[in-house]
Amino acid sequence: MDTFPELAKLQAGETVNLSRRRFLAGTAVGALVLGFGLPLGIPRVQAATHAERGTQVPAFLEIRPDGTVRLLSPFMEGGQGPFTAMAQIVGEELDVDPANFVVESAPPGEAYVVMENGMRITGGSMSVRMSYPTMRRLGALARAMLLQAGAEKLGVPLAELSTTPGTVVHTTTGRSIPYGELAGRAMDLPVPDPTTLKLRDPATFRWIGKPVMRLDARDKSTGKAMYCIDITVENMLHAAVQHAPRLGMTVGGLRNEAEVKAMHGVHSVHQLPGAVAVVARRWWHAKRAVEALQVDWQEAAAGATVRAMPADFSSDRWVEHLGATQGPARDEEQAGDFAATLGSAPTKVEASYHNQYLNHAQLEPPSALARFNPDGTLEVWLPNQAPDMFRDDIAKRTGLDASQITLHSPLLGGFFGRHFLYESANPYPQAIALAKAVGQPVKLIWSREEEFLRDVLRPVATVKFRAALDADGMPIALEAVSATEGPTEALAGKQGEKIDPTALEGLSGKAYAIAHKRIAQVYVKGPAMLGYWRSVGNSLNDFFYESFLDELADKGGKDPFELRLHLLRDNPRLTHLLQAVGELSGGWKRGPFTAEDGSRRARGVAMASPFGSEAAVIAEVSIENGQVKVHDIWQAIDPGSIVNPAIIEHQVNGAVALGLSQTLVEEAVYVDGMPRARNYDLYPILPPSRMARVHVRIIESGAKMGGIGEPPLPAVAPAVANAVAQLTGKRVRSLPMSRHTFS
Amino acid sequence: MELRINGAAYQVEAQADTPLLWVLRDDLGLTGTKYGCGLAQCGACSVLVDGVVVRACVTPVAGVEGREVSTIEAIEDDPVGKKVVAAWVEHQVAQCGYCQSGQVMAATALLKHTPNPSNEQIDAAMVNLCRCGTYNAIHAAMHALAQGEKA
Amino acid sequence: MTRRMKTTLGWLLLPCAVAAGLVTWYVTREPASPFERTQVAIDDPALVSRGEYVARLGDCVACHSLPGQKPFAGGLEMATPLGAIHATNITPDADTGIGSYSLADFDRAVRQGVAPGGRRLYPAMPYPSYAKLSDEDVKALYAFFMRSVQPARQPNQASSIPWPLNMRWPIALWNGLFAATEPYADKPGQDALWNRGAYIVQGPGHCGSCHTPRGLAFNEKALDDSGAPFLAGALLDGWYAPSLRADHNTGLGRWSEADVVQFLKTGRNRHAVVFGSMTEAFNNSTQFMTDQDLSAIARYLKSLPGDPARDGTPWQYQDEPGVAQLDRPGAHTYVTRCASCHGMDGKGQGEWMPPLAGATSALAKENASAINITLNGSQRVVAAGMPDAYRMPAFRAQLSDQEVAEVLSFVRSAWGNHGPTVDPAAVAKLRDHTDPASSSPIILQMR
Repeated sequence: MDTFPELAKLQAGETVNLSRRRFLAGTAVGALVLGFGLPLGIPRVQAATHAERGTQVPAFLEIRPDGTVRLLSPFMEGGQGPFTAMAQIVGEELDVDPANFVVESAPPGEAYVVMENGMRITGGSMSVRMSYPTMRRLGALARAMLLQAGAEKLGVPLAELSTTPGTVVHTTTGRSIPYGELAGRAMDLPVPDPTTLKLRDPATFRWIGKPVMRLDARDKSTGKAMYCIDITVENMLHAAVQHAPRLGMTVGGLRNEAEVKAMHGVHSVHQLPGAVAVVARRWWHAKRAVEALQVDWQEAAAGATVRAMPADFSSDRWVEHLGATQGPARDEEQAGDFAATLGSAPTKVEASYHNQYLNHAQLEPPSALARFNPDGTLEVWLPNQAPDMFRDDIAKRTGLDASQITLHSPLLGGFFGRHFLYESANPYPQAIALAKAVGQPVKLIWSREEEFLRDVLRPVATVKFRAALDADGMPIALEAVSATEGPTEALAGKQGEKIDPTALEGLSGKAYAIAHKRIAQVYVKGPAMLGYWRSVGNSLNDFFYESFLDELADKGGKDPFELRLHLLRDNPRLTHLLQAVGELSGGWKRGPFTAEDGSRRARGVAMASPFGSEAAVIAEVSIENGQVKVHDIWQAIDPGSIVNPAIIEHQVNGAVALGLSQTLVEEAVYVDGMPRARNYDLYPILPPSRMARVHVRIIESGAKMGGIGEPPLPAVAPAVANAVAQLTGKRVRSLPMSRHTFS
Repeated sequence: MELRINGAAYQVEAQADTPLLWVLRDDLGLTGTKYGCGLAQCGACSVLVDGVVVRACVTPVAGVEGREVSTIEAIEDDPVGKKVVAAWVEHQVAQCGYCQSGQVMAATALLKHTPNPSNEQIDAAMVNLCRCGTYNAIHAAMHALAQGEKA
Repeated sequence: MTRRMKTTLGWLLLPCAVAAGLVTWYVTREPASPFERTQVAIDDPALVSRGEYVARLGDCVACHSLPGQKPFAGGLEMATPLGAIHATNITPDADTGIGSYSLADFDRAVRQGVAPGGRRLYPAMPYPSYAKLSDEDVKALYAFFMRSVQPARQPNQASSIPWPLNMRWPIALWNGLFAATEPYADKPGQDALWNRGAYIVQGPGHCGSCHTPRGLAFNEKALDDSGAPFLAGALLDGWYAPSLRADHNTGLGRWSEADVVQFLKTGRNRHAVVFGSMTEAFNNSTQFMTDQDLSAIARYLKSLPGDPARDGTPWQYQDEPGVAQLDRPGAHTYVTRCASCHGMDGKGQGEWMPPLAGATSALAKENASAINITLNGSQRVVAAGMPDAYRMPAFRAQLSDQEVAEVLSFVRSAWGNHGPTVDPAAVAKLRDHTDPASSSPIILQMR
């Protein structure tokens, strides 16, 4: 999900070789155009200064007569809580209780490009941390306008006015006017110079940093929340598709088109690139009819624009192939002299790890609704993480000007990185083509089976580790060479000038003081189309690294918790974090030990530094019927500073669930070029019975604000694996653990 | 055929084997009941039929003729459902929210039959999938509901 | 060695040599066909059309075609205890198919299992049943293959059976013992409908290939209703093909003739939905049969008596309070995984979701079908071109051997069911040898 910075490698037409970390730190501002020559519509954000961005108050805010505030959020709500966070941040400075906010997604447009890296996306756990100062200032600007309007209405000097939540107050007379009565006048005023504003002292925050209730909790508990799949418009038809069994194949012909056209409720039958579609009065009719279509699928042509899936592709064999692939490797991180240190070290350790492909498996199946209006304009409803990119892509596909396209971004029924602009995995091009063809609005829903057939996959890697221990058993040199393809380079279709950071993050960027190290990638272009999956490269690489680190501890006769403390001895932030998670768990206790219920258990520890935040996890496991049972996860997380501790705690729970899911049960298996699973029956995701208790400690170190959606995920798998190794003596070097049997 | 949904009668024209889910969503516009898998795997489509929780995606509509169907849209008309919703809000259960209609229906069904469920009964009944991992929040809300009923 | 002994040996050797010669002749000969030097009017549309219908009756396509490949170009792998064999190319391609076959060659292959040159086919090809095809049907079938099927150049795949087991001549001896030799002859005293049903069931329909138990030589223990084992239910390829006799529990005892017709025509009735290997027979064969032929089959099958001694106590529905007991092994799995479709009462939902109460798979001694469908789900049932609205999921990725064994033992003991309990080891064994069913409809084309 940490997507766009890597794609946006060019600034004003010239190459800028920014590392991702620097990019995320906000050093790059300016016109962004495509890197990698991608056919993706990254918005060309006009060069804009911080002062101009996020200051167009009327574009964001509508204060209604009843005092409720409608806020258009630049960021999409998919459960991770930005709508509530935006209301807290804006409300704090506007002086309106966040509970009085109604938040919706903002349309595409430069007004909403509020991130400090000059972009507007929801991803990379960036929403709050990259827009925090701007959104605060937005609230303050609006408050200043209300005060000005109040001064004019009351005929008193501005200096005599103040606010209480939702109200302008004349401090000397006590007269007050609700915001709702001033809004009309205020929004017509010029936006003040932002430099004249004084922001609220954080010590007086009422809502920022507090466990404010989610704004969407009630609607989501009563079925009122509307997702893309729920939206209807007048005169709308429904559509379903049958995709080619393998990506890249095309429609040769239909054997029974006439019969299918005659089926109950069917409006029309259509051939699309790599798919056939049925439009019907009801989706159920469309779905059944399209399944009945007998299609002669043709093998992909040589020049296919999508990555053609070979008929003999096997995910298991592909992992073996990666493991057997030798160099050439490109270095991502280098320090000291790894080779020489290894050569002369008294103890050497080697191990090879790999992971599995994963699906996003968000609960809401993909859908899109398209309507051509009589004036030639096009309206599209679609789940997305980046409205400007999608609108520009639609413009490119339809030949319409961006101004003729209205893009609606509904609530997302699951996020996880699924809603990026994946060329081969989005339904909206089909919905638009069908709406055009039938001359009526069309809502297209991909059945769960069609979604599993086209979803892009979390990448796989095999990593070969070599390390050296000194005479005291301390690690002094470490090398990790990963044979893999990252999602960004997969979307680009080729390797970039620089290493794709999303391929190696989690192997690179580790904070441990190991003097000699080398982190490198052997780029192996794969047959499967890849995408971003919650915590991206960290989701696999921290499993590899932190598991191997425990192997080094064991080899050197060190306790893995103590070893980490030693390797972080000059890093007070992480030392504190690690100690905090130890404390949270009641004191580090590795085991094995016998629990109260008589089961044998052990604990493992792991850390990760993803998306600007720091995380440390301790897991407690036992073995039940040959499989791993995770009882407790303790997680200490330091995002620097926070906006909503309650939402953070829920996000940690969610990330732990997904982390456990990939650790214990999940894998996307391909056989003969086809996914074995086309539904949750053969693609199990973590069920409630396998969820662990989760204990969270949030640490506000005061460091620059980091992300929250993804950072709690990566350390889960290695903490579990390390606990399992301690309990069973069996070191798991691949996931998921359902492939292994334990005793 | 005539269906009774949330206390009201509806005339629908649907083939007998059409899943109740799609009659609710597309014929009647009751979109609170969600399509997740169509295979009785996730539970996002849970509704009550004569007070028993069923998965509407695998319920041929002909089978509910003459029976009382309750969906999430009317959940707060039911005193138990109202309490469940309140607990869901109190415990801030929802994240993306897509599965929560089904979770609330499953919770309501359990509590209607078993007002003070044990933890084991809660675990046995609350089996719907949630990709956001709200399981602990669901359990906390259910635990509070079970205790609250006792008090 | 004494001279006397040599003489004796000589006397003994002579008949041996003669016998060997006879055997060699017998096992390599091309048997006679009534069609030697017979020409057939393959351009006769009526004959071709009849041939296509016979091909449907015989379900040739299920083995000789693969999804996405040319019709009848062969390729389906069939596992045998000795190794894998592959169905052959039976398109009229002259080099790789049967394009050079005369009608007599074709007849010898279909009804006697002998390819040109005398090579014996493996009896995976159901010629022991096809032997009962009428001359007219063989002619029609030939006309269909030669006229309507497109030649496809696709060389046959060699079997993986090792030498010496891959020698074919012993099959001729097996044929002498176990294959029918004459076309079906109407049974006196039975009406035309019954006889038509008997012809389809015993002959082209080759129902016994799956439903009749096999002997030590892998032979069907009976090829017609004169033998009690005929269609008495059998285990094959990880599925238990139930009895088609009037057995109350494991057969058609509780089915009416109309039930049988509906099942074969639509794939479902109030008792059951087709699953397992029957799905292929339904998708490609039985649903294409005329109502008259389906009625004939129903009449014939319903005339076959059951065997109460083999079938056990007649099943009767009983209420099952145990479903709600969380501590009863398998009950919770049933409630959370199965009850949505099959019902808390085990009665299923109309004709869409089959009942488990009284299901053959829950009453039969053999548990393979129950395990197999739980692990692997069902192939799509495609009736009149329309894939089923509901399908059985595969639980192999979610339930352990123990959990599958427990839930099936629960199902086999609830609602009056009395099938033996299921052992986790049996689940483990089938898990290793099977793959999940495809969730996509598989439609095999005949042209």
